[in-house]
Amino acid sequence: MKYAPAILVGRLTRIAARLRKPGGGSAVPGLVVNTIAPGYLRTTLSGFPRGLVVVTGSSGKSTTTKMLVAILRAHGEAVFTNPSTANISQGLTSALLEQADWRGRVPGDVAVLEMDEGHGARVMEGVDARVVTLTNVMVDQIDRFHDSEMVAGMLAKIASRAHGSVVVNADDAYLERIAGGLGDGVAVRRFGVSPTVLAASPRGLGHTETSPERLDPAAGVVVASVDGASAVLADGGRDVAIGLPARGTHYAVDAAAAYSTARAVLGEQFDPEVAARALSAIPAVFGRGERVTVRGQEVDFVLVQNPASYQLNVDSIAPGTDRILFAIGSDVRDPSYFWPTDASSLGRVSIVSGSKADEAALMLAYDGVEIDRVEHDLGRALDDFLAAPAPTSGVKTIVFSADAMRRTRTHLGLTEAV
Amino acid sequence: MTLTIVSLLPTLQNTNGDAENAAVLAARARWAGLDARVVPVEDAADLPGRVDAVVLGSGSDSSLERSREILLGLHDELRRWGTEGVPILAVGTGWELLSWGIELADGRSVEGLGIMAGRAVPREGRVAGDLVVKASGGLGLLVGFENHARDYVGAEASPVGRVQAGSGNGRGSGQEGVRMGDVIGTHLHGPVLAKNPRLADAMLARACERAGLEYTPGERTHEVDRFAEAARTLQLRAAGVAASADA
Repeated sequence: MKYAPAILVGRLTRIAARLRKPGGGSAVPGLVVNTIAPGYLRTTLSGFPRGLVVVTGSSGKSTTTKMLVAILRAHGEAVFTNPSTANISQGLTSALLEQADWRGRVPGDVAVLEMDEGHGARVMEGVDARVVTLTNVMVDQIDRFHDSEMVAGMLAKIASRAHGSVVVNADDAYLERIAGGLGDGVAVRRFGVSPTVLAASPRGLGHTETSPERLDPAAGVVVASVDGASAVLADGGRDVAIGLPARGTHYAVDAAAAYSTARAVLGEQFDPEVAARALSAIPAVFGRGERVTVRGQEVDFVLVQNPASYQLNVDSIAPGTDRILFAIGSDVRDPSYFWPTDASSLGRVSIVSGSKADEAALMLAYDGVEIDRVEHDLGRALDDFLAAPAPTSGVKTIVFSADAMRRTRTHLGLTEAV
Repeated sequence: MTLTIVSLLPTLQNTNGDAENAAVLAARARWAGLDARVVPVEDAADLPGRVDAVVLGSGSDSSLERSREILLGLHDELRRWGTEGVPILAVGTGWELLSWGIELADGRSVEGLGIMAGRAVPREGRVAGDLVVKASGGLGLLVGFENHARDYVGAEASPVGRVQAGSGNGRGSGQEGVRMGDVIGTHLHGPVLAKNPRLADAMLARACERAGLEYTPGERTHEVDRFAEAARTLQLRAAGVAASADA
């Protein structure tokens, strides 16, 4: 009963927000409830009977969370989870309100939350998690974090809230140090890639600092091999074949993270075959290497979020692809930290667009990439790019930052696959 | 002959892509029809026989001691380059390490190499955002980003220029950076030489002059500089600085 009045106010705020912006979600109801009932988020997060699972890190957290939820649901668990756009405090509360009854109770036995690495430490103050999974430490959003030390510090704070297990990427030296500093009684579980998989990624996997040694398959879940959109996980002497939502080693690593975490959550109940089926059934994620047909043309969408994903994705574009649209939006305020990447393999880009088009063109030009046109208006760039004849080689490819992706989706009337 | 651009400590000192300024210099030299190479120098053993220009980027505070140790092994060379007129660009903590020293927020301090006047001192809170500087010496407006948790004092006699937008050296100085002959220290991070072609060409012209070469920017340079110009114009507008100040 304690939270009923706050929930009512939150509901009314949500209705008001929906009237103002039909169809749109909003963090405002969460903000309102957090203000008038500051304990609600903490109490609710701590109240799930089978505990709270938190997934955080620089990148891969959305995919890992999605995969983990799929595995747990396939095992018959009732899971509460947050949409990836609601991974900070107001958004989380708003997401809880969506599901809450009039007293504020949220259905589900276990909560699996993707948490922003910057805000997570504060959200988790006073909240205990059963399991915390750390994906990696990569250079990302320099404006916010300045450096990797700061990111690692925030992840360590979130990890310290775990009372059951902490699941870490053994290939990440920062995370191994965090694991080494955990209190007694907290189990550490590890996932990682085999030497072969690492060797197949000549630029590495994007960790700020890669651990000197690979994980022994006897000590955790290892990505033994990756072949296009399928992979094999080695789990204690058993080889588990899985399908991935798209090509790319980082998806296999996300799958290993989700698999290890599910093991930590389910214990004896965990079934590798059920997990493999659930992982393989996950549909492609919009903008993550997905091929779609738009206006009668096949187009590959490639989302770049940080230098590591930028490099991996640029490397995965087939050389000779001669129709590329490159759009960087206002979400990349200062593109400086992208400069160490190398996009020379692109050779030529048809149009550079987005509000940071000039900065992006400058960077590409110094990589030796030819630029046919800079078009600041993303809508016009998309229209012209799609209207141009099909390429003689490869598939039309659109590379975009998160902000440019949202605008592209809106402009083309595409909705996200769930 | 080949122009040799040294990128100092590119692994430890490249948080914001500052080390890429070495590649910017090499690219512009090649576009001018010259031979150029970038030599990464992770410690004294990597030093090439001839050095025409030097770039030292910014790192994280946790690598200050390690970087300092390595730079100490290059102390004589840095001093010699400075007096001989080898153009040097030092950014952020790389610059701070070449100064008299760095005072940390917790009261500790890191002794600098004493190549450049002044010292870094703690500031209240980190500053991150646009930085626009009206530079002296015909360099026009320098446009870029800053992100630092320390101010810089003792450069009052020889700054790079006056701050038009942003914080720069701070402490009410209204100044940014320090310039001693051909050695430049600045808070402007990232691809500062790509965004500020005049500064890049001043460094290259100086390097060529010492090497007995002629530097005339190439056709490609002009094409690429148009992207830089467009990016500068947008950033100046965002920072509220009139482009006409770019004289």
